[in-house]
Amino acid sequence: MSEYILELKGVTKTFPGVKALDDVHFQLKSGEIHALMGENGAGKSTFIKIITGVHQPDEGEIYLNGQKVDINNPRDAQKLGIAAIYQHVTCYPDLSVTENIFMGHEKIKKGTNRLLWNEMHSEAQKLLDELGATFDPKTRMGELSVAQQQIVEIAKALSTNAKIIIMDEPTASLTKSESEELYRITEKLRNNGTSIIFISHRLEDMYRLANRVTVFRDSKYIGTWEVNEISNEELIVAMVGREITQMFPKKEAKIGEEILRVEKLGKIGFFKDISFTLHKGEILGLTGLVGSGRTEVCQAIFGITSPDEGKIIFEGKEVKIDHPLQAMNLGIGYLPEDRQKQGLVLEWSIEKNITLPALDKVSHKGWLDKEKEVEIAQALAKKVNVKAKSIYDLANSLSGGNQQKVVVAKLLTADLKVIIVDEPTKGVDVGAKSAILEIMSDLASQGYGIIMVSSEMPEVLGMSDRIIVMREGRITAQLSREEASQEIILEAAMTKKRSVNTA
Amino acid sequence: MKKNDRGKVFNHKNINKFRELGLLGFIIILSIFIQMRNPNYLTLENINDLIKNTAILSILAIGMMMVIITRGIDLSVAATLALSGMITAMTVRSYPSLHPLLTILLGTIIGLFCGAIIGFLVSKMSILPIIATLGMMNIYRGLTYWISGGKWISSYQMSTGFKRIATGSILGINNLIFIAIVLYIVAYYFVNHTRTGRQIYAVGSNPDSAKVSGIKIDKILFLVYSIMGVLAGLSGVLWVSKFASAQSNTATGYELTVIAACIVGGVNIAGGSGKISGIILGSLLLGVLKNALPLIKVSPFWQDAIQGGIILLAVVVSALVKRSVDRNNLIRREV
Amino acid sequence: MENTDLTAEKNFDLKSFFFQWEWVLVLILIIVNFINTYLSPYYLNTYTLLDATMTFLDKAFIVLPMTFVIIFGDIDISVGSTVALSSVVMAVAYNLGMPMSLAIIICLLVGTVCGMINGLLIVKFKELSAVIVTLSTMTLYRGIAYTILEDQAAGGFPEWFTFPGWGYVKGIPFILIVFTIFAIIFALLLHRTTFGRQVYAIGNNAVASRYSGVQVNKIKFIVFTLAGFMSAIAALFLTSRMGSTRPNVALGYELDVIAMVVLGGVSTSGGKGRIIGTILSIFIVGYLRYGLGLINVPAQVILIIIGLLLIFAVMVPNLEKYFKRKKTKKAF
Repeated sequence: MSEYILELKGVTKTFPGVKALDDVHFQLKSGEIHALMGENGAGKSTFIKIITGVHQPDEGEIYLNGQKVDINNPRDAQKLGIAAIYQHVTCYPDLSVTENIFMGHEKIKKGTNRLLWNEMHSEAQKLLDELGATFDPKTRMGELSVAQQQIVEIAKALSTNAKIIIMDEPTASLTKSESEELYRITEKLRNNGTSIIFISHRLEDMYRLANRVTVFRDSKYIGTWEVNEISNEELIVAMVGREITQMFPKKEAKIGEEILRVEKLGKIGFFKDISFTLHKGEILGLTGLVGSGRTEVCQAIFGITSPDEGKIIFEGKEVKIDHPLQAMNLGIGYLPEDRQKQGLVLEWSIEKNITLPALDKVSHKGWLDKEKEVEIAQALAKKVNVKAKSIYDLANSLSGGNQQKVVVAKLLTADLKVIIVDEPTKGVDVGAKSAILEIMSDLASQGYGIIMVSSEMPEVLGMSDRIIVMREGRITAQLSREEASQEIILEAAMTKKRSVNTA
Repeated sequence: MKKNDRGKVFNHKNINKFRELGLLGFIIILSIFIQMRNPNYLTLENINDLIKNTAILSILAIGMMMVIITRGIDLSVAATLALSGMITAMTVRSYPSLHPLLTILLGTIIGLFCGAIIGFLVSKMSILPIIATLGMMNIYRGLTYWISGGKWISSYQMSTGFKRIATGSILGINNLIFIAIVLYIVAYYFVNHTRTGRQIYAVGSNPDSAKVSGIKIDKILFLVYSIMGVLAGLSGVLWVSKFASAQSNTATGYELTVIAACIVGGVNIAGGSGKISGIILGSLLLGVLKNALPLIKVSPFWQDAIQGGIILLAVVVSALVKRSVDRNNLIRREV
Repeated sequence: MENTDLTAEKNFDLKSFFFQWEWVLVLILIIVNFINTYLSPYYLNTYTLLDATMTFLDKAFIVLPMTFVIIFGDIDISVGSTVALSSVVMAVAYNLGMPMSLAIIICLLVGTVCGMINGLLIVKFKELSAVIVTLSTMTLYRGIAYTILEDQAAGGFPEWFTFPGWGYVKGIPFILIVFTIFAIIFALLLHRTTFGRQVYAIGNNAVASRYSGVQVNKIKFIVFTLAGFMSAIAALFLTSRMGSTRPNVALGYELDVIAMVVLGGVSTSGGKGRIIGTILSIFIVGYLRYGLGLINVPAQVILIIIGLLLIFAVMVPNLEKYFKRKKTKKAF
């Protein structure tokens, strides 16, 4: 019998173009809560998907109780007693809690094929009671809060007799009291002998719960420590790794007058009390964990959604923006987070994609001028340096980086004054990354005001003149370029302290 | 987790109850109103007639409910009904001695065949249900005309045994009503107490999760359209026996009444939910309207307009209710 | 290493030019006419070919906006009912003593309003699909037509009103001329204007379109309104040709119209298709119906054939996927 219930040795997984996991080790003791930490893109999600059988490793071995195992699909994982609970719960909103718990392994009366509702309800009730939940198992899943849905997922894991439960950022969208509840349940599971891998961005989660912590960085295994033997600073250094050695093409820009100001902006259920200003020539970094409300704030400014309260003041005048077109006409552009779903028409050529937001520029009285369209698209595609045979190539034939350049080119068609970029370098290769950041830097020095939403710490620190940190829908810190450091930002993004100093 | 219990008055479960109670209340108020205008309404004879007329509608609503739960729709039911009714009636004309049970079996098999074709097109060929059923509706209707040569089969060409399917009774209950009750019990058991029945809901509620849970979506889709076909085929026999005439334009446009009964009965047009008790009430409301309009001297030509208005009203109201529930849920979320 | 400096010209690919669905349609059109000629020796002359168009072009007016609707990935099955309602209201208005010209304007107005109601409901209630909205208005509109006329017919139009359905201009049917004008307008609208470009954008990716400043709601509303308006145009020609109207006219038009659009190569999943394809399929279906009529095939059998045509037209692009899936299944 091995000391470890689960052990991964030298696991490597490569996707086309990316090494998602590189010779990773991991050891889970029986009956411990093991925190797994790392920045976005450190390889945590791939790691989970390998354990749960969604992906298979290219190299390396997985041992369960000392036995080498192959996990070829999610069903194998279930049979081996491994269950995962995700931040975004996948469930059947129209069905009852009981059904969600038992879907796929219903209790059936032998011979008649009748579902044993009473047994399932009472078993579900028992599981929920064990977890300290107060809702009825007959409740429709869709009526529950995210926290309650997670409890159902945990109950589901228990109903399959899972011995290892992986929790993927379960606290990300929970309130404080909900998190407390989850801590309690997680500890209870551990005390009952379940082993738990707890993935989180929040340091407090780790301190509160975990026995040991493992850190991944850049797809690599960095190390494993006893939680009480590692300090906050050491841990952050392990996650971030290095001082920022990467060169960012940040040019000196003259910070001009105020161009955009939001006051007390709020949207029920998403964000509240958001106030900040943006000046000409300034790059304002907006950071925080995924789900902290960054994107929602930007979407409200761009008119994708409408805020419930607060004011947007553009060039000194209060404006009401109900539609992206209004924002664009004012001079506000937005580079969306998901380029494939929100940024591009994938089945279209580069040329048609670039001119879509600026059709009035390539037409006379509504009639398309194809020559002009080609001319403009060609010029912009060259400007952002898209690598393709011609501008007639389809967007879905391009690499991620080149797709993103096309989306950037779309922004440049309009006469903008403010550009909001949401995770501009997510999933693009290094070359394209610096090209995109260089364009942004150029734009700032030309007097554009830029809001840059990003989870990548070096990028935020390297590019921004000022940095706003959000957590759970509120601003927790506003920092100047000089006072900002990774530690301060991480602290503001991950811990509970609420210090709102509005500039 | 206590605070999440706040605002619970306005959740889906209560809304469903409220909808059903409201529907029942509406039917009662409507009945009182009709009774005041025409005392012949609440007579035993008329009520019996009303329920008998509603029986076929309610049978079809069972199948349509399952189809809609999987996020589909079936426009071909009335055409399938007519085709099965016509073929059965023609068979009865040629073989008057055929046992009534065999005629029911025949109609059901024809319906199964019609439904299976649609099931194949939707599940295997990935054709949108609206397109597949629109096409097949016209094919089945065309076939009905073609085989009958556009001629009617009238009462005198049908055997008494065949006509007794609709007029006879079992245990003192009219056969149509009896069949409907039996089917409702079976359907209730099926959708609530068997794994396959629940999988229908799972597929409609979240197809992606269903795939992950290992549910064979193709199989479920094929099944619901086949069941719909079976019920339409059976209804064809009952219809022809009841009206003692088979025509090539039998039940034209009836699919809309069936869809209306489901939607009014709270079946979510976006899939995932719908209850047997709901469609009973939905069918009943439409049955009452159809029965009562002539009694209160509203021209039968208003029927379509009222029905269209009711569908529209029902979907718009449920959309608005859902919005306010969602908004309430967001307010409950603390930022 | 391939050149990646964006310099390549748009090259004219002969192979892909000839492997277009439109050429298949041209071929089918020729075959249909060939068969018709074989069936009736009097068929193949310009007179018959032109004359035949008068029998089927009324619904072709609806095919044009329906192409836009299906490019969205939506559907409008209320068009037949809109035709009936606008036709009935026009006849009633005229019989109430209004001048015919005013009655015609009312007809166009009614159709437009029907379309606007569809558009408004679809845009305001995103949770309702176009299927369910137009399904209910289909019942509603025809229902209203029934409440107005019950089972009566209305007609007695002035002499000159026969012209749209029966008249010729220099030997060419008037309806064909009007249709050609509309077809050109719609083709230009779809392929040459910013509006058309945005219609395609919405059909391919409505979310990205919105992020690019496309007013998705406004464009959808306009297109559904256009569908209503063109249904009213169809009602004018249909009523003129029949001389009188009833609430049950244009029954099942939605089938023909949708079949023509889908056969024309417009994908029901949205984003793809061209007006030229749908125009070709209008003539294919039209001449097919006409030819089948020549040999006295009953209307109901024609219904079957149109239904089969629709099913096959949507099945063809999916068949490839189906067999691919089967293959991969076997490989495992």
